[in-house]
Amino acid sequence: MANVLFTNVRILDATGAAPYPGEVLVQGNRISRVARGARALPTGGVTTVDGGGATLMPGLVEAHTHFSWNDQPGLSEIQRMPTEEHILWCAHIAKRYLDMGWTSCMGAATAKPRLDVVIRNAIESGQIPGPRYLAASQEITVPGGLGDETLPHLPYPEFSFGAIVNGPEEMRKTVRMFLKYGVDTVKLNLSGEYIAGIPAEFTPMTDEEIAVAVKEAHVRGKRVSAHARSAESVKQCVRHGIEIIYHASFADEEALDMLEARKDHHFVAPGIAWLINTSFHAAEWGITPDAAKAMGYHRELEVACETLKKMHRRGIRILPGGDYGFAWIKHGTNAKDLEYFVSYLGFTPMEALRSATFLGGQIMLRGSELGQVKEGYLADLLLVDGDPLANLAVLQDPKRILGIMKDGVFHKDPQGRAARGRWSLPAA
Amino acid sequence: MTSVLFTNVRIIDGTGTAPYAGEALVQGNRIARVARGTRSLPTTGVTVIDGAGATLMPGMVEAHTHFSWNDAAGLSDLQRLPLEEHVLWSANVAKRYLEAGWTSCVGAACAKPRLDVVTRNAINQGLIPGPRYLAGSQEITVAGGLGDETLPHLPFPELSFGVLVSGAEEMRKAVRMFLKYGVDHVKLNLSGDNFTPTSPAGTTWMSDEEVAIAVREAHMRGKRVAAHARSCESVKQCVRHGIEIIYHASFTDEEALDMLEANRDRHFVAPGIGILIAMLDHAAPWGITRQKAVEMGYEVELAAAVESLKKMHKRGIRVLPGGDYGFAFTPHGENARDLEYFVKYVGMTPMEALLSATRHGGEIMMKGGELGQLKDGYLADLILVDGDPLANLGILRDPSRLLAVMKDGVFYKEPEIRSAQSRWGRSVA
Repeated sequence: MANVLFTNVRILDATGAAPYPGEVLVQGNRISRVARGARALPTGGVTTVDGGGATLMPGLVEAHTHFSWNDQPGLSEIQRMPTEEHILWCAHIAKRYLDMGWTSCMGAATAKPRLDVVIRNAIESGQIPGPRYLAASQEITVPGGLGDETLPHLPYPEFSFGAIVNGPEEMRKTVRMFLKYGVDTVKLNLSGEYIAGIPAEFTPMTDEEIAVAVKEAHVRGKRVSAHARSAESVKQCVRHGIEIIYHASFADEEALDMLEARKDHHFVAPGIAWLINTSFHAAEWGITPDAAKAMGYHRELEVACETLKKMHRRGIRILPGGDYGFAWIKHGTNAKDLEYFVSYLGFTPMEALRSATFLGGQIMLRGSELGQVKEGYLADLLLVDGDPLANLAVLQDPKRILGIMKDGVFHKDPQGRAARGRWSLPAA
Repeated sequence: MTSVLFTNVRIIDGTGTAPYAGEALVQGNRIARVARGTRSLPTTGVTVIDGAGATLMPGMVEAHTHFSWNDAAGLSDLQRLPLEEHVLWSANVAKRYLEAGWTSCVGAACAKPRLDVVTRNAINQGLIPGPRYLAGSQEITVAGGLGDETLPHLPFPELSFGVLVSGAEEMRKAVRMFLKYGVDHVKLNLSGDNFTPTSPAGTTWMSDEEVAIAVREAHMRGKRVAAHARSCESVKQCVRHGIEIIYHASFTDEEALDMLEANRDRHFVAPGIGILIAMLDHAAPWGITRQKAVEMGYEVELAAAVESLKKMHKRGIRVLPGGDYGFAFTPHGENARDLEYFVKYVGMTPMEALLSATRHGGEIMMKGGELGQLKDGYLADLILVDGDPLANLGILRDPSRLLAVMKDGVFYKEPEIRSAQSRWGRSVA
């Protein structure tokens, strides 16, 4: 593995410090030196990348990723895709995330039992390109809950992107199956979802079922994540120690107090893009703003914004990503979340960036070695043309992402810059 | 799509003509012009590749490809791979064929029902890189025949890489299922195989009624049939029933050869000779010593196959390379071994061996008028080879000698160094 020196870059190190001009040396798969100013680090025997003043920052972390969602307008479309096509789709999408600067992703649920695990393994073995990935189970749900797509005359489990359980013993069996397959997290659907005709504030899973799921996962050192929009489901998450809370739109004061008291234990990834775009940008696919309002999305968005602002003020960790992979929020456009965090939730641009990097390292279980540009940290880095703090939208434009490095290896070599040495430029 | 001019290349055009110094211009996905000599084609607005004397020839065609075979030493390993991993494996292997200069492949059977079809579709959609591909079905077989891997206490169909049928109506149902999935041809296992001692190569397993209905259902929909046919009787079944693609054909008699010769424009023979040689000479690290291979019958079969193939070649029956790569002792990507074997064992000239992989290849891909030769108007599937394959066919197995691979007018492997050079001006560096 060649050593790479990024020179003439503006370093956004995600520690919270203001960006500064400097240099970063990558040796093997780690950042070995970070220095302020120019000509501070040795250039002998290294490939020098002259950033030309571009921003060097940590790779982005997506906290709520569904590789197997297939950019279609509905939930039933997901299960119309046969397994063979589905795994190739997931491989394709994994690459798309890395292409867009997401060097780590948290699987939030997979549509068929083993898609996430197989993709994670294929990435780790080098068979396919993709981000660091933590693999999830299917969404475990109860009859009539989100994820149950069976019909009265078509009661076949394969119709559902969720795995349906009844009672603690079925839950145990299902959780153990996913743990056997090798998931990193088990996903539970604790609340409803308007688009599936189930109110977001509906909380259909019993504490007995949840307790068994969490116990089985924790016994094997694995984490649990939950689809939890209702106030009660958020409280269930805290009561049962479910580490990763998705959505949390309707968390009330009691829920917020509980979360705040355990804020080092939990992550919240609201998937705010889903609410915004389903409310206002899905008309092309038949969901007009009026239809979305009738479903309840306008109200949920309004409540969720207030809830998340309060969480942010209380220091609860909120992370970007979530539910990209539908026709109106396609895979790869996930960096919109950072803009939404600023415009809808009152984050500063720096806070938004740190939620995708510094907090991202933590949700990946690598808080002390991932998500910041620091000596000894894993070399997951982006070279960005422009200043994301001045304009977060540059992170949505592949042309502005000049270089993408994961684990010390360029997935995207900075074009034009890579071959240039510091002291000599080619005659051209 | 930009136009590409290959200049300063030695052209083996796949027509049988001796190689000549020349140029070839690719426009879009086709070869627009082929010319002898230098500086005869216009260079304006085209990317010029100076081949510096390297050989430009048609991309090779593999006539008997199993993307889903997983480079393991045995057959049961095939079904230990779960579906998801198997799809990714097949995609990965497809890429390896293209990297190795095989720009077209005929799927000879896949290990799970839809692997071939899905891989072909993904290649055609541009989702994954791979050669032109004709998708096979699973191997359709009968109880106890090659492809039946079930055990008395484990009677589960998923244990077998083949599909088991009993009788004409079950055959019809199985064939229709594969046709529904979108295969380009249906594969039947008519004979046994020495790899499976209880159904050796000289034995014949499928009834004419079953074969007839399979062929009828496939032909009704304009699809072809391929057969695993090592025994003499199974080769005759192929001719009688009009099975276009005959795999192996080790054991033949004069009647079988006469039948084949009389229908030689209809049939292709892809013997897969590499596996016979590999079992005898290369399988010892995996526990199959030469002694064991001889006991399994491979020495007898190789001797018979060599005689059969020599006779077929003399009679003008089309013999094509490829076959049963994808085992530990015949790993995917080594397929060009077959060309050397055709010279060494079957008595082909090196040029004949190359033609079998190119001109005949275009024919088995059902694109004989536009694929497999380097001619004006033909599809631009080309490889640029460092050296002279006619002097040393072995270089076709060496990735470092394969300077460029172009499929359908697009470089999959772009010539390094040369790509930036134009004929009239070189970069200052």
